[in-house]
Amino acid sequence: MLIAALRRVLLSVITLVMLAVFIFIATEIMPGDALDVSLSADEIAMIPPERLAKMKQDLGLDRPAHERLLAFLNGAITLDFGKTLISKTPVSAIIGYPLRNSLILAGAVLLIAIPLALAIGIAAAFWKGRAVDHLVSTGSIIGYSIPEFVIGTILVMLFAVAWPIFPATITASTRDPALTLLASSPLAVATVLIGSIAYLARLLRTGMVDALASDFVERLRLTGIPEWRIVFLHALPAAVVPSLTALALYAASLVSGIVVVELVFAYPGLGQELVRGVTRREVHVVQAIALCSAAVVVALNLLADLAILMLDPRTRRA
Amino acid sequence: MVNVTRRNVLLAGLSGPAFLAALDSELIGSASAQTQQPKRGGTLVYAQCSGNRRGGDASNTRHPYFMVDLITRSAYNTLTWVDEGLNVVNELATKVVPADDKLNVWEITVREGVKFHDGREVMAKDWASSFELHRRRNFASQQIKSTEVTGTHSLRFFLDAGNSEFPFVLAEYDNVVMPANEDFEKIGMTGIGTGPFKIVEADPQRRMVLDRFDGYWKKDQPWLDRLEVINREGQMESAINGFRSRQFDAVLNIDPRLVRQLSAEPDTDVVPASSGDQAVIILPKHPGSPFLDKRIRQALAFAIDREAIVRIVYGGAKFGWMGNDSHMAGTDPMFAPRPVKRDVAKAKALLAEAGHPNGITLPTLYYAPQWPEMSRYFQVIQETVKEAGITLPIEERPNDGYLRFRQGDPDVTKGNWHKFAYTAVGPRNPGISLFRMRGANNESGYWSGPAHDRYMELYRTAMVTADAAKRKAIYAEMQQLCFEEAPALLPAGRNNVLIKRPNVRGLNNHPQHWSITWDGVWKA
Repeated sequence: MLIAALRRVLLSVITLVMLAVFIFIATEIMPGDALDVSLSADEIAMIPPERLAKMKQDLGLDRPAHERLLAFLNGAITLDFGKTLISKTPVSAIIGYPLRNSLILAGAVLLIAIPLALAIGIAAAFWKGRAVDHLVSTGSIIGYSIPEFVIGTILVMLFAVAWPIFPATITASTRDPALTLLASSPLAVATVLIGSIAYLARLLRTGMVDALASDFVERLRLTGIPEWRIVFLHALPAAVVPSLTALALYAASLVSGIVVVELVFAYPGLGQELVRGVTRREVHVVQAIALCSAAVVVALNLLADLAILMLDPRTRRA
Repeated sequence: MVNVTRRNVLLAGLSGPAFLAALDSELIGSASAQTQQPKRGGTLVYAQCSGNRRGGDASNTRHPYFMVDLITRSAYNTLTWVDEGLNVVNELATKVVPADDKLNVWEITVREGVKFHDGREVMAKDWASSFELHRRRNFASQQIKSTEVTGTHSLRFFLDAGNSEFPFVLAEYDNVVMPANEDFEKIGMTGIGTGPFKIVEADPQRRMVLDRFDGYWKKDQPWLDRLEVINREGQMESAINGFRSRQFDAVLNIDPRLVRQLSAEPDTDVVPASSGDQAVIILPKHPGSPFLDKRIRQALAFAIDREAIVRIVYGGAKFGWMGNDSHMAGTDPMFAPRPVKRDVAKAKALLAEAGHPNGITLPTLYYAPQWPEMSRYFQVIQETVKEAGITLPIEERPNDGYLRFRQGDPDVTKGNWHKFAYTAVGPRNPGISLFRMRGANNESGYWSGPAHDRYMELYRTAMVTADAAKRKAIYAEMQQLCFEEAPALLPAGRNNVLIKRPNVRGLNNHPQHWSITWDGVWKA
C-alpha cells in the first residue's frame, strides 16, 4: 500500500510541475501587460514613448521569458510568488483573504450540501422507481443543469428585489470575520447550494442504487439484519467509496471555480481576485491563484485516492 | 421630479379630477422638494461602476492615487476645481496668477484656516511637499520643475514651459494636499486630507467608509454623517440589483443602454451630466491608407449622421452630444460647434473628386467594447455613411490587447501600421484636449503637413496667451482646422449618467466622473 501511495504522491508532484509550466505559458500569451492597462487613455496619449519604455523596463516587463519562468517556479517551491507589478505588494497579501473567503463559502456549502445530499440520495435509492425517486431525479437534473448565474439572478429577483429580505449584492469587506461574510451572503450560498445538492444527491443515489442491488446486500438481507442497518452501515460506505474522487474534485471546483457566483454577488473570493488580476495583467497574482487552485484540485484528488486505497483493498493492487 | 405614470393615474381612480389632484400633488411635492433646506445627518451608500485600474492594496488604499474610486474629493481637496460646466474655479486656492509673461511661473495664495483631518492647519509647505510627489507621479504635473514656498500661505510653481491652462492642472484629482513629509514616498499613506469626509475604513478595491469631518472648511458642510463607497467596477448588474434592493442610494456611471429602462422605474432619478467621454475614430495615414487623401477623410466626416448617433445610441440630447472632430468636450466653454451639418451630397462630391464616383469601400474599422454601447454606435455610423456610397466594414476586437493592436508601431517601415480604429477620450482642459491632435500622437493618425504645423503653432501660442478671450479665438481656429482637415473623427459623445433615490439631494453629476463633489449632498 505504501508503494501505491508513494506512486500517487509522485504523480501529483509531476502534475503540479507540469501545471505550473502550463500556467506560465498561459499568462505569457495574454495580450498586453500591466503597464498598458494601468495607464489611462489620457496618460498613454500624453506620456512620451521613451518614458513609457523606461517605465516598462523599471517594472521588469522586458525581462526574458526563461528568467521569469525560473523565478515563478522558484516562487512556487518556496511559496513566495513575489510582488505585484504596479503597486509592489506581496502577492500573498493580495490573495490571502480571498482564498480564505473562497474556502469559507465552499466549506459552508459542503457542510450543508453533504448531509442533505446524503439524505436525498439514500431516500431516492431506497425508494427507487417510486415517486420520491422520480422527484429527486428530475429535481437534481434541473438543479444541476441550470447555470448558476441564472439561479443567482432568479434568487436576487425574488428575495432581494421583489421581496427584499436578503441583500442583492455583498458589501461586506474582504477581511470581515467568516460569520459576517456568511451572514451577508445567503443568496450566494443558496445559489451554489442548489447545484451542489443536485450534483451530490445524484452521485450518491447512483452509488446507493448499485450498492443496494449488490450480492452482499442481498446476503445481508437474507441473514435478517434490519433494513436500516443494511442501508446505513453496509450499503452507504460501499456507495460512498467510488464517489470519493468525484466528491473531492467537486469540492476543489467549489474553491476555485465559483467565479460566476462571485461576480453575480460580488463575493470577495479568489474568483473575483483572479478576474481582477487578469484584467490588470498582474501576472504574478494570476499565476499564484491558478497554481493554488490547481494545487487544491491535485491535493484533494490525492487525498481521495489515498482514502480509497485505505478503504478498498482491491485498488492497492492496481 | 414629476412622476405621473399610467399606474399613478389608474391608482387615482381614472377620473379627471383625481388625475388632476394626482398631478397637482406631484407638482407641489416636487416644488416643495426643490425648496427644502438641506438637512444634517444620514448615511449615503453609493456604488460606482467605472474602471479604476489603479485601485490600491492594504498598504496604500487610503492614498488618493489608489482610492477605491477616483472621487478623491470626498476625502481630499485640490487648489482648484473644475465645475460641472468645465470652468476652473478656486477651491483651496484664493488666488492663482501667472508671475511672468511667459506663463511658466505661477503664484498661488492658499486659503487660511483650512484643517487636515488630524486637526493641523494646512500651510504652503504642505502643498509644496504634496506637489513633490505629484510632479513625479501625476502625468499632468510632470511639467512642474519645482515649487517654492514664499510665505506661510503662498507658493510658486516653476514650469518647464509656459502653460496658460495651468489652473486646470491644479484641479487634477490626484493633485490633492496631504500633510508634508520629507520622504515623498510616505506622503498620503495615512489617508489624512482636508476633504468633507475622513476615511475610517478602507477595503482595497472593494469598499470605503468615510465619516463627516467636523472641521471642514466649508461652513455647515458636509451634510451627511457618513459616506460609503462600494466598488462595482465592471459589475453593472450587481450595482443595479443593489440599488433596486435598496442597498444603495445611488449608482454612478450607468450604462447608457439602461437609461430608458431605469427612467421608467419607480423611486429612481436619472441624472445626466452636461457631457462626458467621446469616441475618437483614428484615421491612419500610413503608406497606402485611403485617409492620406484629405477629401476621403472629409467625405466620411460629412457622411456620418451625428444626430442619429445621439438619438439612437444615447436616447437624445439629454444623454449624448455631437462632437466637432476635435478632442474638446461639447460643454467646454471653449468648444466651437461644427459649423456645418451632415451633408451627404457634399460627401459624394468629395469622393468623386478623389476618384471614387461610385463610392468607396474603406478598410475595416476596429473597435473594442470599452463602452457597452460601442457596437450600436458603430452600427449607426456604418448605416448612415452608406447613403454617401461609403461601405464601412466594422469589426469588434476584444479589450484584451486592443491598445497594442490598434497602435501598431509608429515606425511605418516595420509594416505593423496603426489601425483605422476607435479609442475613447474624456473631457479635460482645452490645453490637454487640443494637444492630443498633435502629429506625434497615435490618436491623430500621425497627422502631418502644413495644416498640422499651423495647428501646433496655434497651440504653442495659446499656451503662452494669458487672456482667456484671445485663447478662445485661437482654440476656435484650431477646431476649425480639425473641421477642415479631419485628421481624426470625433462624431459624438455620451453624457455621464448616475441614478439616485429622490430623497438624495444636491448630488450633481459631472462630465468628469472624478470631479463629483459630496460636500452639498444631503438626504431628505
